[in-house]
Amino acid sequence: MLLAQTKMNFVWYLFRDGEMMFWALAMPIFFLVLFSFAFGFGNTTQASAFLVPGLIGAQVLTLGFFGVGVMLAQFREQKVLRRIYLTPLPPWVFFAALVLYRLTLLAFQSSILALAGSVFFHVHFTGNVLDMIAMLAIGALTFVSLGTLVGAVTKTAESANNLASVLTVPLAFLSDAYIPLDRFPSTVSAPLHLLPSTQFIDALRGVTTGGEPLAHFSLWIVVLLCWALGGMLLSARIFRWV
Amino acid sequence: MTDPSIAVTRLVKRFGEVEAVRGIDFEIMPGTIFGLLGRNGAGKTTTLECCIGLTKPSSGCVRMLGLDPSNPRELARLRPRFGAQLQTTSLPEKARVGEMLELYARYYALRPATAALCERVGLLGKERQPVGGLSGGERQRLALALAIQHDPEIAFLDEPTAGMDAYGRRVLWGEVEHLRRTGKTVILTTHYIEEAERLCDEICIVQQGRIIARDTPARLIAGAGGGSTITVEAEGFAPRNGIARAGRWRHEAPGNGEGARWVLATELDPGPVLAEVVRAVDEQGAQLHALDMRRATLEDAFLNLTGERIAEDAEAGAA
Ligand SMILES: Nc1ncnc2c1ncn2[C@@H]1O[C@H](COP(=O)(O)OP(=O)(O)OP(=O)(O)O)[C@@H](O)[C@H]1O
Ligand SMILES: [Mg+2]
Repeated sequence: MLLAQTKMNFVWYLFRDGEMMFWALAMPIFFLVLFSFAFGFGNTTQASAFLVPGLIGAQVLTLGFFGVGVMLAQFREQKVLRRIYLTPLPPWVFFAALVLYRLTLLAFQSSILALAGSVFFHVHFTGNVLDMIAMLAIGALTFVSLGTLVGAVTKTAESANNLASVLTVPLAFLSDAYIPLDRFPSTVSAPLHLLPSTQFIDALRGVTTGGEPLAHFSLWIVVLLCWALGGMLLSARIFRWV
Repeated sequence: MTDPSIAVTRLVKRFGEVEAVRGIDFEIMPGTIFGLLGRNGAGKTTTLECCIGLTKPSSGCVRMLGLDPSNPRELARLRPRFGAQLQTTSLPEKARVGEMLELYARYYALRPATAALCERVGLLGKERQPVGGLSGGERQRLALALAIQHDPEIAFLDEPTAGMDAYGRRVLWGEVEHLRRTGKTVILTTHYIEEAERLCDEICIVQQGRIIARDTPARLIAGAGGGSTITVEAEGFAPRNGIARAGRWRHEAPGNGEGARWVLATELDPGPVLAEVVRAVDEQGAQLHALDMRRATLEDAFLNLTGERIAEDAEAGAA
């Protein structure tokens, strides 16, 4: 059932939607090229080694806030949710199918980014593959959970969209995704290290291009999982289907 | 005695200032086709959505098959047992008709019988059409198919024929008859009075969030007089003498602003009355434009009931 539902998500929202398909695949590359040159610190390989994990991290934020949060609000506003709510399909299956669809898409986008990074900008992924996947999964879990909260606290798709933008754009810029935090004065950057997005992106960068083991970041991982759990419990309480 | 399929007790639903439902009670026994009839905004949808757990009652309670649909756990047990066609809902635009039917079959753990179902609701050959490309009536028929393909014990149909042509209505009527034959309970809302009269075993007339009448269509009509209506459009005509006493006359301004229209509600045998009306028109030298006679229908009962109700309110206000 879960797989059937996930497959339908792909078919309905990606394969039959040419524009969506284009943006899903072109967007990460576009950002990579743009930022590599814009922020190029003279040496684009070094810039890219910083940017590729940052972009993947930003993709994870987008996935959670837009791909899950805004999408749920849209489903509610279009009155798709209320119809599903009447069927015996367990709510968690509907939700999990949406998340699974987004995660698979993320896996694709990250692979493209990683591939483009290593082919065109000679970025070396020195980390352990399992560590990279685990870190990505933990981040995705956290931001899917927080994204669901966005879909739960907003009434309309419009306000979900606004809330998601307000969260994603500044978080991406303040969380070490595109701009190294050490360029900020330390009074500014210190509190920014407390953001879950900073912790996730730094950890992701550490295990991908930084050559650090996952264990280095165990404290942050615990904190991220707490965010995930909190978001999940809260959205389960307040999420409305109609 | 068997238990009712649905029991609604003192149901009240407020949306902020608006009191959409103001104390509704009814019980529906299994095998009944039950109709909620009322104007726009009467509270039909709100009542129905309270019954299926989409809307939480402000007060009062609903029992479906002995369970409480506003309780998530009990609703989970109810879901496989009822089907619903909602007034406001949508399906993913890019999904195809066949896909939707198959997916819903899976939700209910059925073997999909898409072709047979499409045949039943007149969507044969449309299986590969995207939902977004369906016409209004086709969408309604798809929604009907999704509501009944698992052969639910109770079917909730909220204005199932809104925007449907004659063919679509026949499809729906056929399916409701089928549900009746197999002993299922149907609760439907409509403002097509003819449809309610034809389909329903019992009708509740809803006005401003309250039930103002509940009976079989035949008894509602009988209760409303059960007589006939004669409409005369003739220039220079007025009901005088003998025919003035044949029943209740009502004067209506005709739509085109010409002549006068008189409507007579009578309990007498309409044949002789009609003959007298014709004679009176002739005697008064009036010029006849139109003359119409029909036996009372549910429509008259509805007008009577809802009209009287408004008159009572006005009197109460004046006193
Ligand atoms: N979500 C809501 N918020 C505020 N008011 C509402 C809401 N839903 C319904 N109402 C109000 O409650 C009243 C009853 O609405 P309802 O939809 O139950 O009517 P209805 O009998 O189904 O009408 P129709 O024949 O037009 O479908 C209306 O006055 C409507 O404006
Ligand atoms: Mg309605």
